[in-house]
Amino acid sequence: MATIYIDDKAVEATPGDSLLSVCLKNGIYVPHLCYLEELKETPASCRLCFVEVEGEPAPVTACTTMVREDLRVRTDTPEVRRLQRAALRLLLSVHRVDCGRCPANKHCDLQRIAALLGTGLKPKNLALLLREPQVVRVHPLFDYYPNRCVLCGRCVRLCRERHAMPLLTFADRGFSTTVTFYGQGNSEEIPCADCRACVKACPVAALWPRDSDAPVPGGEEEPSPNTAGSDPAEAGP
Amino acid sequence: MPTGNPKTIDQAFKDLREEARTRWEELRQTPGPKFRLGLATCGIASGALNTKVALEETLAERGIMAQIRTVGCMGHCYAEPLLVVENPGFPPLLYHQVSPGKAKMIVRSFLEGGDPLFEHVLGAMEENDMIPWIMDFPRFSNEVRVITALCGVVDPEEISDYIALGGYAALARALESEPEDLIRAVEEAGLRGRGGAGFPTGKKWRLCAQAAGKRKVVICNADEGDPGAYMDRTLLESNPHQVLEGMAICARAVGARRGIVYVRAEYPLAVRLITTAVQQAEKLGLLGESILGGDFSFHVQVFRGSGAFVCGEETALLRSIEGKRGMPRHRPPFPVQEGLEGLPTVINNVKTLASVPPIVEKGPKWFRGVGTPRSPGTAVFSVVGDVVHPGLVEIPMGTTLRSLIFDVCGGIPRRKSFKAVQIGGPSGGCLPEDFLDTPIDFDSLVEAGAMMGSGGMVVMDEDACMVDVARYFLDFTQKESCGKCTFCRIGTRQILEILERMTRGEGREEDLGLLETLADVVRRGSLCGLGKTAPNPVLTSLRYFREEYEAHVREKRCPSGTCRALTAFYIDLDLCARGCDACVGCCPVEAIFTTLNRKKGIDQTLCVKCGECVAACPEEYNAVKKVSPPHLAPIVERPPVQET
Amino acid sequence: MHEQSKEFELTAEEAAALDEIAGALGRFGQERGNLIPILQMVQERLSYLPPRAIELVASHLGMAPCEVYGVATFYNQFRFHPPGRYRIKVCLGTACHVKGGDIILENFERKLGIRDGETTPDREFSIERVACVGCCALAPVTVINETVHGHTAPSKVEGLLLGFQIERERKEREDKKHADGESQDH
Repeated sequence: MATIYIDDKAVEATPGDSLLSVCLKNGIYVPHLCYLEELKETPASCRLCFVEVEGEPAPVTACTTMVREDLRVRTDTPEVRRLQRAALRLLLSVHRVDCGRCPANKHCDLQRIAALLGTGLKPKNLALLLREPQVVRVHPLFDYYPNRCVLCGRCVRLCRERHAMPLLTFADRGFSTTVTFYGQGNSEEIPCADCRACVKACPVAALWPRDSDAPVPGGEEEPSPNTAGSDPAEAGP
Repeated sequence: MPTGNPKTIDQAFKDLREEARTRWEELRQTPGPKFRLGLATCGIASGALNTKVALEETLAERGIMAQIRTVGCMGHCYAEPLLVVENPGFPPLLYHQVSPGKAKMIVRSFLEGGDPLFEHVLGAMEENDMIPWIMDFPRFSNEVRVITALCGVVDPEEISDYIALGGYAALARALESEPEDLIRAVEEAGLRGRGGAGFPTGKKWRLCAQAAGKRKVVICNADEGDPGAYMDRTLLESNPHQVLEGMAICARAVGARRGIVYVRAEYPLAVRLITTAVQQAEKLGLLGESILGGDFSFHVQVFRGSGAFVCGEETALLRSIEGKRGMPRHRPPFPVQEGLEGLPTVINNVKTLASVPPIVEKGPKWFRGVGTPRSPGTAVFSVVGDVVHPGLVEIPMGTTLRSLIFDVCGGIPRRKSFKAVQIGGPSGGCLPEDFLDTPIDFDSLVEAGAMMGSGGMVVMDEDACMVDVARYFLDFTQKESCGKCTFCRIGTRQILEILERMTRGEGREEDLGLLETLADVVRRGSLCGLGKTAPNPVLTSLRYFREEYEAHVREKRCPSGTCRALTAFYIDLDLCARGCDACVGCCPVEAIFTTLNRKKGIDQTLCVKCGECVAACPEEYNAVKKVSPPHLAPIVERPPVQET
Repeated sequence: MHEQSKEFELTAEEAAALDEIAGALGRFGQERGNLIPILQMVQERLSYLPPRAIELVASHLGMAPCEVYGVATFYNQFRFHPPGRYRIKVCLGTACHVKGGDIILENFERKLGIRDGETTPDREFSIERVACVGCCALAPVTVINETVHGHTAPSKVEGLLLGFQIERERKEREDKKHADGESQDH
């Protein structure tokens, strides 16, 4: 075991473990979206879990920092917060903020991070860049909402981990990158109904079981009383 | 297998070289005229294949026996197709822009009539009393050719040319040296990676050699993606063996048995020539199993990159070879520790590898004699844009930008003034006139805010708009971002939004600050080098050309008249010649009409601002004018359509 | 998004090429590292990657079709629509941009009535914007099929297209003559 110092608090940790994991286990919340405790490899793609490590000239991502003896870490310096706010605002600039009608409401990681950083859910002075269509209905059971998705890739990695023949993947590139269920037609032949790992792991309800009665987001309908603001745990899978 | 004493490596190589030299001498001694035609992509695009056909036909028609050799690129793209003619009794002469017609003329006038057609000669290839030597011209004399020494001399499809002129001798020597000595030679030479960042090559090799595991890989990175850069392509098309030889030496140094040349599929000729080169080298035992009969084996395959700029990044390149989406990953581990399929892997740029054989052959001290102490050797640039002599140039490190642009490349054409030079492509920056005396080396360029990059250089004259250039590069990086990390995927897109807004005349006062903030966080927050350097074109142009941004935002004016939404063309009725129709026919959208007094006017609602009318208007009138902002253009009413 | 786009019917030639591809796959090992070379081979024969080809490749490599699709859509080289018989690629590298490459692109778009990335309904022409093709000294550059056209001024665009039309008409005439000649022989 090694002793490391997170915000001046001494913490015992196993060398080689990810710093983010240690922070989370010790009740120190560091904003993050792409990291998943159960998967060994981290993509370090959401760029939220920045911390300052003594000896490093600039903030580093906690998920890729390995525990070593005498590591000294600060999780809330102005520079760390500045980068985290910037990343969050960028994510919000491609996010359709419609919490009232979103099943992730009150359990949404974006809401949690925004609350911690005190930014609100507006992208500030960035242009709002939304995509068409609002909902992609290709999979027989699940819908994909591109304007909720933060492209953290939890779903893609979990599916790859659980199934020899993954059912969803990233497609396209750059700003057009999307998550796709390309080629999945028949609900009888796929294990999705029993697995649902992708839906459960999604931090923002961008993948959600199809409910044909639910209003299509972005549609003109008023929020229906049984979905707006309801507890997603009840409506969840 | 032959029995008895196997030949030593040294002897095996000497035999090969003897054979190649004999063949080369025979080529040289063939009586009659000889032609050497540049057939790299630039030459072909300029019509060199038609020139070749015309040359062959004319020679056949006239019953002249002549030797035609095809070679790669000589670097003088402005003068393509290039032809060297050796006519007995004359020094070898270099002809420029040899169209099929000119080729015929050369055969008739020069070969048959003895008139060398001086007006078409660029210079003589050797010093002589008759015709100026090319080395008397700055475009030639300022170059120091290490990497491109044999480009345009050897036939890229003929390994024996390269061997005859000294090729593969360094490999033969390397096979009999200790790997440690090879690494030390490269370290002592101070060779730095020519792919952009200038990481010490020797250090990279050493790390790979020391990495655990017996199986190692050497990759030649020819995924040249910077728009405006084509040095790597030219090298592969002109002298692929020097690159292969460098790879084999590297493999020997680090203990790799497997090599991959990663070349863009967009370069079909380079792909074909490097593939042929690998086959020829294998056939002669210079690559493949037990090279030159020794115990070292090295197998090279060619992998075609499928068009993703980000694959120039090492970890993304590896993923694409593994059949995955080319998304970079966090480093460490570095590829020298865990590379292709987890094996320690050296990834070197084409030019880096091509620098290796001369270092092994002539020694580190010789290499250090060229260039600067911290950046030894030469730099190969493709200098394009607004220069008189665009093309490929190899100069010693430390040469100033001024010398490269004005002495070597002939300065700015059409008597316009220099405005900026873009170095390092989408990761680099635009430097203004004040920086022309900056020496070209890895560190000085970074200090100035640009970077060496892989060697693309675009020179811009007074007509270039720096906001538009920044927009262009952000559009590029934004499209080429892999989409993995938040800052690069969305940040570059938001920067582009702002720049587009500015070039459309919709910029807001707060956009300048927003641009700076975004550029800064994208630079600090991104995962890989592409994202970290993507804001450079914006940051440098904001630093050096801020007043242009301000003009776009505050006055809705594009000072150079580039941004089409902020400009208008009009015809100065005092200059327009009555009855002249030159501009009418060239307008692609029929926006030009005839006024009642038979002069011309432009319908601003139809005009697409392509500028064809400017080019078409006869010089003596010069009546088409461009203004910014567009409301400055005087309104000329289209006369009502007359009933006939 | 590619998956929303309508699937083009395979022509008889394409269906035949697909059969050949199934055979050609045998020359490639089943390691994932062969994925990109295989996709390149398929596209060389079909000039795009229809869903059936993606399935074939996936089953050869034992991969999920969506994974193959995910990889293919990452790279600029791969197409999911059939290109035109004349593939017009307008270079928008730095040098071409500075010399007005976007104006050339617009001219092609205007003359053919399609946007970049699209194919004319008769499948004769398609327009693409490409990153640097590496002939910067000849900027602005347009590559049509495999031929590089340097210094393409807007006024040259019309000439190029006219050239193709004349070539096509001549070919049609010759085919007709040839067909007539044959029918006379019988």
